[in-house]
Amino acid sequence: MSDFQLACPADEVPEGGMQLVELDERLVILFHVDGQYYCLDDVCTHDGGPLSDGELLGCEIACPRHGAKFDVRNGEALTMPATQATAAHEVKLDGGNIYVKINDD
Amino acid sequence: MSQTITRMEYNQEGFDAFLQARKEPQWLQSLRQNAWQTFSEGRWPNQKDEEWMRTDIRLFKLNKFNSATETGQPLPNAVLSAGVELAGSCSSMDGVTLHHHLDPEWAEKGVVFGSLSELANQHSDLIEKYLFQKAVDPNFDRFSALHAAFWSSGVFLYVPRGVVIDKPLHSIAGMSDGGSDFAHTLVILEDGAEATLLSESASPDVNAGGMHCGAVELIVGNDAHLRYVNLQDWGQGVWHFANQKALVGRDSSLQWTVGALGSRLSKVNQHVSLTGEGGNCQVNGVMFTENKQHLSYHTLQQHEQPHCTSDFLYKAALQDSSRTVWRGMIQVDEGAQKTDGYQRNDNLLLSRAARADSIPGLEIEADDVRCTHGSTSGKVDEELIFYARSRGFSRKEAIQMIVTGFFQQVFDRVTIESVREALGLAIARRVRDYE
Repeated sequence: MSDFQLACPADEVPEGGMQLVELDERLVILFHVDGQYYCLDDVCTHDGGPLSDGELLGCEIACPRHGAKFDVRNGEALTMPATQATAAHEVKLDGGNIYVKINDD
Repeated sequence: MSQTITRMEYNQEGFDAFLQARKEPQWLQSLRQNAWQTFSEGRWPNQKDEEWMRTDIRLFKLNKFNSATETGQPLPNAVLSAGVELAGSCSSMDGVTLHHHLDPEWAEKGVVFGSLSELANQHSDLIEKYLFQKAVDPNFDRFSALHAAFWSSGVFLYVPRGVVIDKPLHSIAGMSDGGSDFAHTLVILEDGAEATLLSESASPDVNAGGMHCGAVELIVGNDAHLRYVNLQDWGQGVWHFANQKALVGRDSSLQWTVGALGSRLSKVNQHVSLTGEGGNCQVNGVMFTENKQHLSYHTLQQHEQPHCTSDFLYKAALQDSSRTVWRGMIQVDEGAQKTDGYQRNDNLLLSRAARADSIPGLEIEADDVRCTHGSTSGKVDEELIFYARSRGFSRKEAIQMIVTGFFQQVFDRVTIESVREALGLAIARRVRDYE
């Protein structure tokens, strides 16, 4: 299991917005929803497309290809055609920066 | 002995230095300049492009790599040539030619074989007629343009009319960790010629990184027969991009065997055009992926003339969270009557997290043809494992046997023993125990 690593300054992820970052040769999305930060793999588990081009509505991110929705808080797949969760990573805020611990499981 | 190695980045300055360092014919310099222009004006493909929608290259960064003029790294061991009596061989490391040799018996008959870079001056007229002229289009995409601008070393095989080479030729391209390889393979068989070329690529260890941006052009004349084997066993940190095309003439045959084992991410376009009546092509593909590897193969079997047959069989076994994408197309042109085209892709999923995308397709413009395709994806049957274990085998041995059995159909089609053995051993070594 990896340690927390710096992802980006918190002010680069506005409330209700998201930010794509590269960590450990991996693309992940940071979300800022209701004052909390979350992090998911930038992968729709339906066909492997990027989620970061999708629309964020509350706690749900919708894949732009086929509309599969995921819960940004835990990566859970909420609607078809996705049936499997996308990887969610632990996030912490420290000194105005967002740190992420990559979940390799 | 220490060596001074000049490294050039893939930018305008690096391209100018690369061009200046090479003493090449004017036509070749112009070809490179045009390709560089195409590259400079182009954009990288992305997942909005239909062809790339399943292959994510956002983490690929060209500026991490550079072109070397020399290499001090040792060549990885060759596996395809073990125990094989060869008519010739050549090798390169990091795109720098190390050696090339052709048995004088064949040189006297007019055969030319060796490093394409080294032979480009000596056989300028011949190579100019074929290089990027009939098969691979340097403007196909940004990778093909980059390759056409920076290709180095590679392999050139020319077999004159009626010459039958009864021993295989062998080439190996090595790449050090973090290196790059832009090898180009150009094979020309004149009418009535026959040859076998065993070609492999490898890294010093399984985790090595790097970039391969290559191309293969196979031009088979009339009544000619080529067996071509391409084993890709790069380290699992290598980005592998390739455009490959074969032209098969009248009453000719091509047997093309592909072993795709290595690389972090592969995107390969393999295109065979049957350009003469009665042409035949058989493609045998063996893929084994593990960890987070992503191998994407796009095949096109194009029937341009009547009475041709094509038979593509790709089999893939996947473990861990690896992924394969196989997208095959049989294209039958108007007038290519009596075509017999077949394509098949079978996938064996050895873990729950592995994923295989299989997309066979047909585009038929003639009305008297037989074209079929098939695809299967499944996991290892637990009953088979139970039976093998009841006979005293461990779970891992049982899975190895099942995986070997899965590939047997394609191994049976490979007519070269050293290739069968190399592929079988490489796969058996990789299979892990899964619950």
